[in-house]
Amino acid sequence: MVFLVFLELLFVNVAQAQSTYQFGALPSLNINNKFQNGWSLNSKVESRQLMKSGNFNGNSNTEYKYVLTDFSFITAKKIGLNSRIAGGYLFRLRETEIFHRFIQQYTIVQKMNGFRLAHRFSSDQTFSNGEKPEFRLRYRITSEIPLNGESVDPKEFYIKLNNEYINSWQGTDYDFEIRLVPLLGYDITDNNKIEVGLDYRVNSFLNNNTRHSFWLSLNWFIEI
Amino acid sequence: MFRKIIIFMIFLMFGLCSNYLFAQQKYEKESRIKPKDVPSKAMNFIDSINLKNRVKWYLEEGLETKSIEAKFKYNSKKYSVEFDTLGNIEDAEIEIKWDEMQTPFKDSISSQLKKDCLKQKIVKVQIQYSGTSSEILSKLRENKTSGNLTIKYEVVVRCKSKDTVVLFEYLFNKKAQVLSRSEIIFKNSSHLEY
Repeated sequence: MVFLVFLELLFVNVAQAQSTYQFGALPSLNINNKFQNGWSLNSKVESRQLMKSGNFNGNSNTEYKYVLTDFSFITAKKIGLNSRIAGGYLFRLRETEIFHRFIQQYTIVQKMNGFRLAHRFSSDQTFSNGEKPEFRLRYRITSEIPLNGESVDPKEFYIKLNNEYINSWQGTDYDFEIRLVPLLGYDITDNNKIEVGLDYRVNSFLNNNTRHSFWLSLNWFIEI
Repeated sequence: MFRKIIIFMIFLMFGLCSNYLFAQQKYEKESRIKPKDVPSKAMNFIDSINLKNRVKWYLEEGLETKSIEAKFKYNSKKYSVEFDTLGNIEDAEIEIKWDEMQTPFKDSISSQLKKDCLKQKIVKVQIQYSGTSSEILSKLRENKTSGNLTIKYEVVVRCKSKDTVVLFEYLFNKKAQVLSRSEIIFKNSSHLEY
């Protein structure tokens, strides 16, 4: 229902206002270290590269541009059978600017009949010299659907679907972003997974200036 | 400057995974198979129960073992029947409710669990029957329990200790004595959380 309302808003917005888009790649490497007593450390590096941008009226720019790189380190503690609280720090390099982001999150993973479902509630605060601090509240639901059997095993493919809703406040501005990420994953071993798919993001549609982002998402997850 | 920071960060991340090469892996795989790939002996056994519900067939592979498993619902209960790769029956498991078990038996199991966990919750109980093919068949079809049938109880328990919460699978015999206890390891979920 929420998604239908969102599509309607989006359609009206594309038809009536200046909508822009960007297309590029978003490769990431994610390493998760497990320690004793339910502690773990997640390290991630993600880079963003722009290949095309423009607006839906026809103007576009196809020049390749490296945009940014993120490094994040998040420490997590298992607090229930399937739940974890986590906190960490993200370091963003964007042209000559450096951004510092502090992250807090709670995740719960449910084993359903034939698939897994993960809920992530998180907040973050971003600081930099050039911009006002940004505060965000996020909710993400992720499903993992095995393409063979009742769970994903080594040498098997799976579908992963992410849907995230992000509220952000920066100075007096408020924005709402929606992300939809369908991915095809392959479980190389129990500790190695690769995923490829589309990371679609839409924001600024509340102020009639919709921005669509289409990123080719390439993820590699290593578990230690 | 930025290039140096990026290189440093990547070294830091890979430095954290230096013990990766020495990590041990447990290999266990369950995959769905089609009825035509099921050994005829196993198929004949399941056919002779005269089920109305659909049967799902799986191949379970361990490091050194392989087995075929049939899962189905019968009389509103969940059944799973395990065979070797030639189709010889190994055992049959029927999921029951904790309340369906007799009180003295439950008390014995509960006192064992209280010794092992600070807090515990029963997640799943299965009765496991093993014996000859005809003994297991008459148990499944007519609920007749032959004296030669070996009965065990598989109990999955959510167990809270001082530092963490884990899921254990206990195997009890008919006298509620512990035959084995193993921790159920969840599949990695960092790709769902981060």
